[in-house]
Amino acid sequence: MVSGSRQIPAAPGPASSVADAGGAGSAGQSAEGEDRLPATQPFVEIRNLRKSYARGAIPVLKGVGDTMSKTDRLVILGPSGGGKSTLLRCVMGLETIDSGAITLDGRNYIECLSNGRTFVDRTVQRQVGMVFQHYTLFPHLTVLGNLILAPVKRNGEKKGAAIARAEALLSRFGLISKLKSYPSQLSGGQKQRVAIARALMLEPKLMLFDEVTSALDPELIAEVESMISELAEGGMPMMIVTHDMGFAKNIATKVLFCADGVVMESGDPETFFAAPKIKRTRDFLASILRGTKV
Amino acid sequence: MSGYSFDFFYVLNGFSRLLQGLIVSLELTAIVVGIGTFSGFVLALATSSRSLFLSVPTRLFVEIFRCTPALIQIVWFFYCLPVLADVFWPPFTMGVIALTLNLTAFNSEAYRAAIQAIPAAQRDASIALGLSRWHQAIHVVFPQVLRIASPVLVSNSISLFQQSSLVAIVSVEDLMYQGKLLAVQTYRPIETFTIVALIYFGLSFPISQLVGRIERYNARLLA
Repeated sequence: MVSGSRQIPAAPGPASSVADAGGAGSAGQSAEGEDRLPATQPFVEIRNLRKSYARGAIPVLKGVGDTMSKTDRLVILGPSGGGKSTLLRCVMGLETIDSGAITLDGRNYIECLSNGRTFVDRTVQRQVGMVFQHYTLFPHLTVLGNLILAPVKRNGEKKGAAIARAEALLSRFGLISKLKSYPSQLSGGQKQRVAIARALMLEPKLMLFDEVTSALDPELIAEVESMISELAEGGMPMMIVTHDMGFAKNIATKVLFCADGVVMESGDPETFFAAPKIKRTRDFLASILRGTKV
Repeated sequence: MSGYSFDFFYVLNGFSRLLQGLIVSLELTAIVVGIGTFSGFVLALATSSRSLFLSVPTRLFVEIFRCTPALIQIVWFFYCLPVLADVFWPPFTMGVIALTLNLTAFNSEAYRAAIQAIPAAQRDASIALGLSRWHQAIHVVFPQVLRIASPVLVSNSISLFQQSSLVAIVSVEDLMYQGKLLAVQTYRPIETFTIVALIYFGLSFPISQLVGRIERYNARLLA
Protein backbone atom coordinates (compact mmCIF):
# COMPACT_ATOMS: atom_id res chain seq x y z
CA MET A 1 0.00 0.00 0.00
CA VAL A 2 1.34 3.31 -1.01
CA SER A 3 -0.17 5.31 1.78
CA GLY A 4 -2.64 4.98 4.57
CA SER A 5 -5.00 7.59 5.87
CA ARG A 6 -3.68 11.00 6.83
CA GLN A 7 -5.65 13.67 8.60
CA ILE A 8 -8.93 11.97 7.97
CA PRO A 9 -9.49 8.59 9.62
CA ALA A 10 -10.35 5.63 7.44
CA ALA A 11 -13.56 3.69 7.20
CA PRO A 12 -14.56 0.59 9.07
CA GLY A 13 -14.96 -2.13 6.47
CA PRO A 14 -17.03 -1.56 3.36
CA ALA A 15 -18.41 1.94 3.11
CA SER A 16 -21.74 0.79 1.75
CA SER A 17 -23.94 2.16 4.49
CA VAL A 18 -23.52 5.75 3.46
CA ALA A 19 -26.44 7.17 5.37
CA ASP A 20 -24.99 6.42 8.79
CA ALA A 21 -21.33 6.62 7.86
CA GLY A 22 -21.11 10.22 9.01
CA GLY A 23 -20.13 9.78 12.64
CA ALA A 24 -18.39 6.46 12.22
CA GLY A 25 -14.76 5.78 11.54
CA SER A 26 -11.92 6.17 13.95
CA ALA A 27 -8.25 5.73 13.31
CA GLY A 28 -8.23 2.42 15.18
CA GLN A 29 -10.65 0.84 12.78
CA SER A 30 -8.63 1.41 9.67
CA ALA A 31 -6.53 -1.61 10.48
CA GLU A 32 -9.58 -3.80 10.23
CA GLY A 33 -10.33 -2.51 6.74
CA GLU A 34 -6.80 -3.29 5.70
CA ASP A 35 -7.03 -6.79 7.13
CA ARG A 36 -9.87 -7.63 4.85
CA LEU A 37 -8.10 -6.32 1.80
CA PRO A 38 -4.52 -7.45 1.90
CA ALA A 39 -1.99 -5.23 0.21
CA THR A 40 -1.69 -7.78 -2.58
CA GLN A 41 -5.26 -7.07 -3.65
CA PRO A 42 -5.91 -3.39 -4.23
CA PHE A 43 -9.44 -2.00 -4.03
CA VAL A 44 -9.24 -0.53 -7.51
CA GLU A 45 -6.70 -1.66 -10.03
CA ILE A 46 -6.27 -0.08 -13.43
CA ARG A 47 -4.12 -2.10 -15.80
CA ASN A 48 -2.58 -0.89 -19.05
CA LEU A 49 -5.56 1.25 -19.97
CA ARG A 50 -5.54 2.60 -23.49
CA LYS A 51 -8.19 4.77 -25.01
CA SER A 52 -8.38 6.76 -28.18
CA TYR A 53 -10.94 8.71 -30.11
CA ALA A 54 -11.60 8.69 -33.85
CA ARG A 55 -10.57 5.04 -34.33
CA GLY A 56 -7.15 5.43 -32.82
CA ALA A 57 -6.33 8.73 -34.49
CA ILE A 58 -6.46 10.66 -31.21
CA PRO A 59 -4.92 8.67 -28.35
CA VAL A 60 -5.99 9.97 -24.96
CA LEU A 61 -4.80 7.30 -22.56
CA LYS A 62 -1.59 5.52 -23.58
CA GLY A 63 -1.27 2.68 -21.12
CA VAL A 64 -2.38 3.96 -17.74
CA GLY A 65 -1.95 1.71 -14.75
CA ASP A 66 -2.28 2.29 -11.03
CA THR A 67 -3.95 1.03 -7.92
CA MET A 68 -5.79 2.43 -4.97
CA SER A 69 -6.65 0.87 -1.64
CA LYS A 70 -9.96 0.99 0.17
CA THR A 71 -8.70 3.70 2.49
CA ASP A 72 -7.43 5.86 -0.34
CA ARG A 73 -8.71 9.09 -1.70
CA LEU A 74 -7.03 9.29 -5.04
CA VAL A 75 -6.65 12.76 -6.50
CA ILE A 76 -5.82 12.95 -10.18
CA LEU A 77 -4.00 16.11 -11.24
CA GLY A 78 -2.59 17.26 -14.49
CA PRO A 79 -2.88 19.68 -17.38
CA SER A 80 -6.03 19.98 -19.46
CA GLY A 81 -6.23 17.34 -22.16
CA GLY A 82 -3.93 15.05 -20.23
CA GLY A 83 -6.55 12.35 -19.89
CA LYS A 84 -7.71 12.89 -16.29
CA SER A 85 -11.40 13.05 -17.02
CA THR A 86 -11.21 10.29 -19.59
CA LEU A 87 -9.56 8.06 -16.99
CA LEU A 88 -12.39 8.73 -14.57
CA ARG A 89 -15.01 8.14 -17.26
CA CYS A 90 -13.36 4.81 -18.06
CA VAL A 91 -13.56 3.79 -14.40
CA MET A 92 -17.28 4.65 -14.47
CA GLY A 93 -17.72 2.56 -17.60
CA LEU A 94 -18.84 5.46 -19.77
CA GLU A 95 -16.16 4.91 -22.39
CA THR A 96 -15.12 2.07 -24.63
CA ILE A 97 -11.46 1.19 -24.20
CA ASP A 98 -8.82 -0.01 -26.64
CA SER A 99 -6.97 -2.24 -24.21
CA GLY A 100 -6.56 -2.99 -20.54
CA ALA A 101 -8.85 -3.74 -17.63
CA ILE A 102 -10.18 -2.22 -14.43
CA THR A 103 -10.83 -4.17 -11.25
CA LEU A 104 -13.02 -3.21 -8.30
CA ASP A 105 -12.73 -5.19 -5.07
CA GLY A 106 -11.01 -8.01 -6.93
CA ARG A 107 -13.55 -8.23 -9.73
CA ASN A 108 -12.64 -7.45 -13.30
CA TYR A 109 -15.57 -5.30 -14.32
CA ILE A 110 -14.24 -3.39 -17.28
CA GLU A 111 -12.10 -5.15 -19.79
CA CYS A 112 -11.13 -4.92 -23.43
CA LEU A 113 -12.04 -8.31 -24.92
CA SER A 114 -10.01 -10.04 -27.59
CA ASN A 115 -12.53 -8.99 -30.26
CA GLY A 116 -11.87 -5.34 -29.37
CA ARG A 117 -15.20 -4.80 -27.64
CA THR A 118 -15.41 -3.32 -24.16
CA PHE A 119 -16.91 -5.60 -21.55
CA VAL A 120 -18.67 -3.88 -18.62
CA ASP A 121 -20.01 -5.91 -15.70
CA ARG A 122 -23.13 -3.90 -14.87
CA THR A 123 -23.53 -5.28 -11.36
CA VAL A 124 -20.05 -4.07 -10.39
CA GLN A 125 -20.44 -0.84 -12.36
CA ARG A 126 -23.48 -0.07 -10.21
CA GLN A 127 -21.25 0.02 -7.14
CA VAL A 128 -19.52 3.08 -8.56
CA GLY A 129 -21.08 6.52 -8.30
CA MET A 130 -20.05 9.61 -10.23
CA VAL A 131 -20.62 13.34 -10.12
CA PHE A 132 -19.79 15.48 -13.14
CA GLN A 133 -18.48 18.94 -13.84
CA HIS A 134 -21.65 20.16 -15.49
CA TYR A 135 -24.89 19.90 -13.63
CA THR A 136 -26.55 16.69 -14.60
CA LEU A 137 -29.64 16.85 -12.44
CA PHE A 138 -32.75 16.02 -14.42
CA PRO A 139 -34.43 19.41 -14.84
CA HIS A 140 -37.98 18.06 -15.06
CA LEU A 141 -37.76 16.36 -11.65
CA THR A 142 -37.68 17.91 -8.20
CA VAL A 143 -34.72 17.33 -5.90
CA LEU A 144 -36.62 14.44 -4.33
CA GLY A 145 -37.56 13.08 -7.76
CA ASN A 146 -33.92 13.15 -8.82
CA LEU A 147 -32.86 11.25 -5.71
CA ILE A 148 -35.42 8.47 -5.82
CA LEU A 149 -35.57 7.88 -9.59
CA ALA A 150 -32.83 5.26 -9.82
CA PRO A 151 -33.53 3.51 -6.48
CA VAL A 152 -37.21 3.11 -7.35
CA LYS A 153 -37.03 2.44 -11.07
CA ARG A 154 -33.77 0.55 -11.22
CA ASN A 155 -33.62 -1.23 -7.87
CA GLY A 156 -37.37 -1.60 -7.39
CA GLU A 157 -37.16 -0.03 -3.96
CA LYS A 158 -40.48 0.91 -2.35
CA LYS A 159 -41.21 4.57 -2.99
CA GLY A 160 -41.85 5.29 0.68
CA ALA A 161 -38.57 3.75 1.74
CA ALA A 162 -36.66 5.64 -0.93
CA ILE A 163 -38.28 8.92 0.11
CA ALA A 164 -37.35 8.29 3.75
CA ARG A 165 -33.73 7.63 2.78
CA ALA A 166 -33.67 10.69 0.53
CA GLU A 167 -35.01 12.88 3.33
CA ALA A 168 -32.42 11.54 5.77
CA LEU A 169 -29.65 12.18 3.26
CA LEU A 170 -30.86 15.69 2.45
CA SER A 171 -31.19 16.55 6.14
CA ARG A 172 -27.68 15.36 6.76
CA PHE A 173 -26.31 17.66 4.09
CA GLY A 174 -28.53 20.63 4.92
CA LEU A 175 -30.62 20.41 1.78
CA ILE A 176 -33.94 19.28 3.23
CA SER A 177 -35.57 22.66 2.56
CA LYS A 178 -34.90 22.12 -1.15
CA LEU A 179 -36.75 18.80 -1.25
CA LYS A 180 -39.49 20.03 -3.56
CA SER A 181 -37.40 22.53 -5.53
CA TYR A 182 -36.58 22.07 -9.18
CA PRO A 183 -32.92 22.18 -10.23
CA SER A 184 -33.49 25.54 -11.96
CA GLN A 185 -34.33 27.03 -8.55
CA LEU A 186 -31.02 25.94 -6.98
CA SER A 187 -27.64 27.62 -6.91
CA GLY A 188 -24.74 25.89 -8.63
CA GLY A 189 -23.35 24.69 -5.33
CA GLN A 190 -26.69 23.29 -4.26
CA LYS A 191 -27.07 21.53 -7.60
CA GLN A 192 -23.74 19.78 -7.15
CA ARG A 193 -24.55 18.80 -3.58
CA VAL A 194 -27.87 17.34 -4.73
CA ALA A 195 -26.00 15.50 -7.49
CA ILE A 196 -23.69 14.02 -4.86
CA ALA A 197 -26.67 13.04 -2.71
CA ARG A 198 -28.31 11.45 -5.74
CA ALA A 199 -25.23 9.30 -6.30
CA LEU A 200 -25.14 8.36 -2.60
CA MET A 201 -28.72 7.09 -2.75
CA LEU A 202 -27.35 4.06 -4.59
CA GLU A 203 -24.88 3.37 -1.76
CA PRO A 204 -21.78 3.22 -3.94
CA LYS A 205 -18.57 1.57 -2.82
CA LEU A 206 -16.51 4.09 -4.78
CA MET A 207 -17.26 7.70 -5.67
CA LEU A 208 -15.83 9.54 -8.65
CA PHE A 209 -15.75 13.35 -8.75
CA ASP A 210 -14.93 14.86 -12.12
CA GLU A 211 -14.04 18.55 -11.65
CA VAL A 212 -17.24 19.05 -9.69
CA THR A 213 -16.34 22.58 -8.65
CA SER A 214 -14.86 23.83 -11.93
CA ALA A 215 -18.10 25.37 -13.17
CA LEU A 216 -18.95 27.00 -9.85
CA ASP A 217 -18.57 30.58 -8.71
CA PRO A 218 -15.70 30.79 -6.23
CA GLU A 219 -17.94 31.46 -3.24
CA LEU A 220 -19.91 28.27 -3.90
CA ILE A 221 -16.94 25.93 -4.09
CA ALA A 222 -16.47 25.54 -0.34
CA GLU A 223 -19.89 24.04 0.36
CA VAL A 224 -19.36 21.33 -2.25
CA GLU A 225 -15.81 20.58 -1.14
CA SER A 226 -16.85 20.35 2.50
CA MET A 227 -19.53 17.85 1.57
CA ILE A 228 -16.93 15.73 -0.19
CA SER A 229 -14.64 16.05 2.83
CA GLU A 230 -17.48 14.89 5.07
CA LEU A 231 -17.89 11.81 2.92
CA ALA A 232 -14.17 11.23 3.10
CA GLU A 233 -14.35 11.37 6.88
CA GLY A 234 -17.05 8.74 6.69
CA GLY A 235 -14.56 6.52 4.91
CA MET A 236 -15.84 6.68 1.35
CA PRO A 237 -13.15 5.64 -1.13
CA MET A 238 -13.02 8.20 -3.90
CA MET A 239 -11.25 9.35 -7.02
CA ILE A 240 -11.18 13.08 -7.60
CA VAL A 241 -10.19 15.11 -10.60
CA THR A 242 -9.72 18.72 -9.57
CA HIS A 243 -7.85 21.89 -10.36
CA ASP A 244 -8.13 23.11 -6.79
CA MET A 245 -4.70 22.43 -5.30
CA GLY A 246 -5.69 23.40 -1.77
CA PHE A 247 -8.54 20.93 -1.81
CA ALA A 248 -6.33 18.29 -3.42
CA LYS A 249 -3.72 18.65 -0.68
CA ASN A 250 -6.33 18.43 2.03
CA ILE A 251 -8.23 15.43 0.86
CA ALA A 252 -5.71 13.27 -1.01
CA THR A 253 -4.11 10.18 0.45
CA LYS A 254 -2.62 9.49 -2.93
CA VAL A 255 -1.91 11.67 -5.92
CA LEU A 256 -1.71 10.71 -9.56
CA PHE A 257 -0.14 13.14 -12.00
CA CYS A 258 -1.54 12.50 -15.44
CA ALA A 259 -0.21 14.18 -18.56
CA ASP A 260 -0.02 13.28 -22.24
CA GLY A 261 -2.10 10.18 -21.57
CA VAL A 262 0.25 8.53 -19.09
CA VAL A 263 0.74 8.55 -15.34
CA MET A 264 3.84 10.70 -14.96
CA GLU A 265 4.07 10.44 -11.23
CA SER A 266 2.10 8.74 -8.50
CA GLY A 267 2.55 8.69 -4.77
CA ASP A 268 1.67 10.20 -1.44
CA PRO A 269 0.68 13.86 -1.41
CA GLU A 270 3.47 15.02 0.93
CA THR A 271 6.13 13.92 -1.49
CA PHE A 272 4.16 15.00 -4.52
CA PHE A 273 3.55 18.57 -3.44
CA ALA A 274 6.77 19.14 -1.50
CA ALA A 275 9.29 17.28 -3.59
CA PRO A 276 7.94 16.19 -6.99
CA LYS A 277 10.25 13.71 -8.64
CA ILE A 278 10.07 14.80 -12.25
CA LYS A 279 10.42 18.13 -13.98
CA ARG A 280 7.03 17.97 -15.66
CA THR A 281 5.33 17.82 -12.27
CA ARG A 282 7.43 20.69 -10.95
CA ASP A 283 6.52 22.81 -13.96
CA PHE A 284 2.86 21.97 -13.53
CA LEU A 285 2.80 22.86 -9.86
CA ALA A 286 4.75 26.04 -10.48
CA SER A 287 2.34 27.17 -13.18
CA ILE A 288 -0.67 26.41 -10.96
CA LEU A 289 0.88 28.45 -8.16
CA ARG A 290 1.43 31.32 -10.58
CA GLY A 291 -2.23 31.01 -11.46
CA THR A 292 -1.69 30.26 -15.11
CA LYS A 293 -2.91 27.31 -17.08
CA VAL A 294 -0.48 24.75 -18.44
CA MET B 1 -70.79 43.20 -53.37
CA SER B 2 -72.32 40.10 -54.87
CA GLY B 3 -75.70 40.80 -53.41
CA TYR B 4 -75.92 37.32 -51.85
CA SER B 5 -78.37 37.30 -48.95
CA PHE B 6 -77.35 35.00 -46.13
CA ASP B 7 -79.98 32.78 -44.56
CA PHE B 8 -78.83 30.64 -41.69
CA PHE B 9 -82.29 29.38 -40.70
CA TYR B 10 -82.17 25.91 -42.30
CA VAL B 11 -78.56 25.39 -41.44
CA LEU B 12 -79.09 26.20 -37.79
CA ASN B 13 -82.00 23.78 -37.79
CA GLY B 14 -79.54 21.06 -38.67
CA PHE B 15 -77.02 22.22 -36.11
CA SER B 16 -77.45 19.13 -33.90
CA ARG B 17 -76.25 16.98 -36.83
CA LEU B 18 -73.16 19.15 -37.11
CA LEU B 19 -72.54 18.60 -33.42
CA GLN B 20 -72.84 14.84 -33.88
CA GLY B 21 -70.25 15.10 -36.62
CA LEU B 22 -68.08 17.25 -34.41
CA ILE B 23 -68.07 14.57 -31.73
CA VAL B 24 -66.82 12.03 -34.28
CA SER B 25 -64.13 14.49 -35.40
CA LEU B 26 -63.04 15.07 -31.82
CA GLU B 27 -63.00 11.34 -31.05
CA LEU B 28 -60.88 10.70 -34.09
CA THR B 29 -58.52 13.55 -33.20
CA ALA B 30 -58.25 12.50 -29.56
CA ILE B 31 -57.34 8.91 -30.43
CA VAL B 32 -54.84 9.91 -33.09
CA VAL B 33 -53.20 12.63 -30.95
CA GLY B 34 -53.14 10.30 -27.93
CA ILE B 35 -51.31 7.59 -29.82
CA GLY B 36 -49.24 9.87 -32.03
CA THR B 37 -47.77 11.82 -29.14
CA PHE B 38 -46.11 8.70 -27.77
CA SER B 39 -45.53 6.75 -30.99
CA GLY B 40 -43.79 9.80 -32.45
CA PHE B 41 -41.27 9.61 -29.62
CA VAL B 42 -40.63 5.90 -30.12
CA LEU B 43 -40.22 6.50 -33.85
CA ALA B 44 -37.80 9.35 -33.15
CA LEU B 45 -35.67 7.03 -31.00
CA ALA B 46 -35.61 4.57 -33.90
CA THR B 47 -34.72 7.18 -36.51
CA SER B 48 -31.89 8.51 -34.36
CA SER B 49 -30.57 5.01 -33.69
CA ARG B 50 -27.02 4.19 -34.67
CA SER B 51 -28.23 0.86 -36.04
CA LEU B 52 -28.90 1.17 -39.78
CA PHE B 53 -31.44 -1.66 -39.58
CA LEU B 54 -33.51 0.60 -37.40
CA SER B 55 -32.77 4.06 -38.72
CA VAL B 56 -33.00 3.50 -42.49
CA PRO B 57 -36.49 1.90 -42.67
CA THR B 58 -37.92 4.26 -40.08
CA ARG B 59 -36.58 7.33 -41.85
CA LEU B 60 -38.03 6.02 -45.08
CA PHE B 61 -41.37 5.68 -43.29
CA VAL B 62 -41.18 9.27 -42.07
CA GLU B 63 -40.36 10.60 -45.53
CA ILE B 64 -43.19 8.64 -47.18
CA PHE B 65 -45.74 10.14 -44.82
CA ARG B 66 -44.25 13.62 -44.93
CA CYS B 67 -43.99 13.72 -48.70
CA THR B 68 -47.41 12.44 -49.71
CA PRO B 69 -50.73 14.23 -49.21
CA ALA B 70 -52.75 13.17 -46.19
CA LEU B 71 -55.73 12.79 -48.49
CA ILE B 72 -53.91 10.12 -50.54
CA GLN B 73 -52.88 8.34 -47.35
CA ILE B 74 -56.48 8.13 -46.17
CA VAL B 75 -57.76 7.03 -49.55
CA TRP B 76 -54.97 4.49 -49.88
CA PHE B 77 -55.71 2.89 -46.52
CA PHE B 78 -59.44 2.86 -47.27
CA TYR B 79 -59.30 1.42 -50.79
CA CYS B 80 -55.95 -0.32 -51.16
CA LEU B 81 -55.29 -1.91 -47.79
CA PRO B 82 -58.44 -4.06 -47.90
CA VAL B 83 -57.39 -5.44 -51.29
CA LEU B 84 -53.72 -5.93 -50.48
CA ALA B 85 -54.02 -7.20 -46.91
CA ASP B 86 -57.52 -8.66 -47.01
CA VAL B 87 -58.71 -6.66 -44.01
CA PHE B 88 -62.08 -4.98 -43.86
CA TRP B 89 -62.32 -2.50 -41.04
CA PRO B 90 -64.82 0.31 -40.63
CA PRO B 91 -63.96 3.65 -42.27
CA PHE B 92 -63.37 5.23 -38.86
CA THR B 93 -60.66 2.67 -38.07
CA MET B 94 -59.01 3.18 -41.45
CA GLY B 95 -59.07 6.92 -40.86
CA VAL B 96 -57.48 6.47 -37.44
CA ILE B 97 -54.73 4.26 -38.87
CA ALA B 98 -53.87 6.60 -41.73
CA LEU B 99 -53.89 9.76 -39.62
CA THR B 100 -52.02 8.14 -36.73
CA LEU B 101 -49.20 7.09 -39.03
CA ASN B 102 -49.20 10.57 -40.55
CA LEU B 103 -49.04 12.34 -37.19
CA THR B 104 -46.45 9.87 -35.87
CA ALA B 105 -44.18 10.75 -38.78
CA PHE B 106 -44.55 14.50 -38.24
CA ASN B 107 -44.21 14.27 -34.45
CA SER B 108 -41.11 12.12 -34.72
CA GLU B 109 -39.34 14.96 -36.50
CA ALA B 110 -40.27 17.33 -33.68
CA TYR B 111 -39.01 14.83 -31.12
CA ARG B 112 -35.80 14.17 -33.02
CA ALA B 113 -34.78 17.80 -32.76
CA ALA B 114 -35.78 17.85 -29.08
CA ILE B 115 -33.76 14.73 -28.29
CA GLN B 116 -30.70 16.40 -29.75
CA ALA B 117 -31.29 19.38 -27.45
CA ILE B 118 -30.85 17.25 -24.32
CA PRO B 119 -27.30 17.60 -22.99
CA ALA B 120 -25.15 14.51 -23.49
CA ALA B 121 -24.09 14.86 -19.85
CA GLN B 122 -27.54 13.64 -18.84
CA ARG B 123 -26.89 10.39 -20.68
CA ASP B 124 -23.65 9.98 -18.73
CA ALA B 125 -25.48 10.69 -15.48
CA SER B 126 -28.14 8.14 -16.36
CA ILE B 127 -25.53 5.48 -16.98
CA ALA B 128 -23.75 6.41 -13.76
CA LEU B 129 -27.08 5.93 -11.98
CA GLY B 130 -27.40 2.52 -13.60
CA LEU B 131 -30.58 3.36 -15.49
CA SER B 132 -31.32 1.03 -18.37
CA ARG B 133 -31.75 2.55 -21.81
CA TRP B 134 -35.49 1.99 -21.58
CA HIS B 135 -35.76 3.69 -18.17
CA GLN B 136 -33.58 6.48 -19.47
CA ALA B 137 -35.85 6.96 -22.48
CA ILE B 138 -39.08 6.87 -20.48
CA HIS B 139 -38.15 8.67 -17.27
CA VAL B 140 -35.38 11.04 -18.33
CA VAL B 141 -35.69 11.79 -22.03
CA PHE B 142 -39.43 11.57 -22.74
CA PRO B 143 -40.67 14.00 -20.05
CA GLN B 144 -38.13 16.57 -21.22
CA VAL B 145 -38.59 16.23 -24.97
CA LEU B 146 -42.34 16.30 -24.46
CA ARG B 147 -41.90 19.78 -23.01
CA ILE B 148 -39.28 20.94 -25.48
CA ALA B 149 -41.26 19.71 -28.49
CA SER B 150 -44.68 20.68 -27.12
CA PRO B 151 -45.11 23.85 -29.21
CA VAL B 152 -44.56 21.82 -32.38
CA LEU B 153 -46.59 18.89 -31.06
CA VAL B 154 -49.54 21.17 -30.29
CA SER B 155 -49.44 22.78 -33.70
CA ASN B 156 -49.13 19.34 -35.34
CA SER B 157 -52.18 18.27 -33.36
CA ILE B 158 -54.15 21.31 -34.50
CA SER B 159 -53.21 20.55 -38.11
CA LEU B 160 -54.32 17.00 -37.51
CA PHE B 161 -57.69 18.23 -36.31
CA GLN B 162 -58.08 20.18 -39.58
CA GLN B 163 -56.89 17.21 -41.63
CA SER B 164 -59.34 14.94 -39.90
CA SER B 165 -61.91 16.59 -42.16
CA LEU B 166 -60.39 14.59 -45.01
CA VAL B 167 -61.85 11.34 -43.68
CA ALA B 168 -65.25 12.61 -44.85
CA ILE B 169 -64.16 11.47 -48.29
CA VAL B 170 -64.18 7.83 -47.17
CA SER B 171 -67.57 8.36 -45.51
CA VAL B 172 -66.56 8.68 -41.91
CA GLU B 173 -69.45 10.68 -40.47
CA ASP B 174 -67.41 13.52 -39.06
CA LEU B 175 -68.09 17.25 -38.95
CA MET B 176 -67.12 17.77 -42.59
CA TYR B 177 -69.24 14.82 -43.71
CA GLN B 178 -72.32 16.13 -41.89
CA GLY B 179 -71.60 19.58 -43.28
CA LYS B 180 -71.54 18.27 -46.83
CA LEU B 181 -74.84 16.46 -46.30
CA LEU B 182 -76.44 19.52 -44.76
CA ALA B 183 -75.22 21.75 -47.55
CA VAL B 184 -76.83 19.52 -50.14
CA GLN B 185 -80.07 19.10 -48.22
CA THR B 186 -80.58 22.77 -47.44
CA TYR B 187 -79.23 24.14 -50.73
CA ARG B 188 -77.23 26.51 -48.50
CA PRO B 189 -73.58 25.48 -49.02
CA ILE B 190 -72.19 28.94 -48.27
CA GLU B 191 -73.90 29.20 -44.88
CA THR B 192 -73.18 25.58 -44.01
CA PHE B 193 -69.51 25.64 -44.84
CA THR B 194 -69.09 29.02 -43.16
CA ILE B 195 -70.49 27.56 -39.97
CA VAL B 196 -68.41 24.40 -40.28
CA ALA B 197 -65.32 26.57 -40.75
CA LEU B 198 -66.24 28.63 -37.70
CA ILE B 199 -66.56 25.48 -35.60
CA TYR B 200 -63.09 24.28 -36.68
CA PHE B 201 -61.71 27.74 -35.99
CA GLY B 202 -63.47 28.14 -32.67
CA LEU B 203 -61.90 24.95 -31.34
CA SER B 204 -58.45 25.34 -32.88
CA PHE B 205 -57.77 28.99 -32.14
CA PRO B 206 -57.76 28.80 -28.32
CA ILE B 207 -55.47 25.79 -28.43
CA SER B 208 -53.05 27.50 -30.78
CA GLN B 209 -52.92 30.37 -28.28
CA LEU B 210 -51.70 27.90 -25.67
CA VAL B 211 -48.43 27.43 -27.55
CA GLY B 212 -46.98 30.72 -26.36
CA ARG B 213 -47.86 29.95 -22.74
CA ILE B 214 -46.32 26.49 -22.95
CA GLU B 215 -43.13 28.00 -24.34
CA ARG B 216 -42.85 30.47 -21.47
CA TYR B 217 -43.56 27.78 -18.86
CA ASN B 218 -40.96 25.43 -20.33
CA ALA B 219 -38.36 28.17 -20.56
CA ARG B 220 -38.67 28.64 -16.80
CA LEU B 221 -38.51 24.97 -15.89
CA LEU B 222 -35.78 23.79 -18.23
CA ALA B 223 -33.57 26.85 -17.77
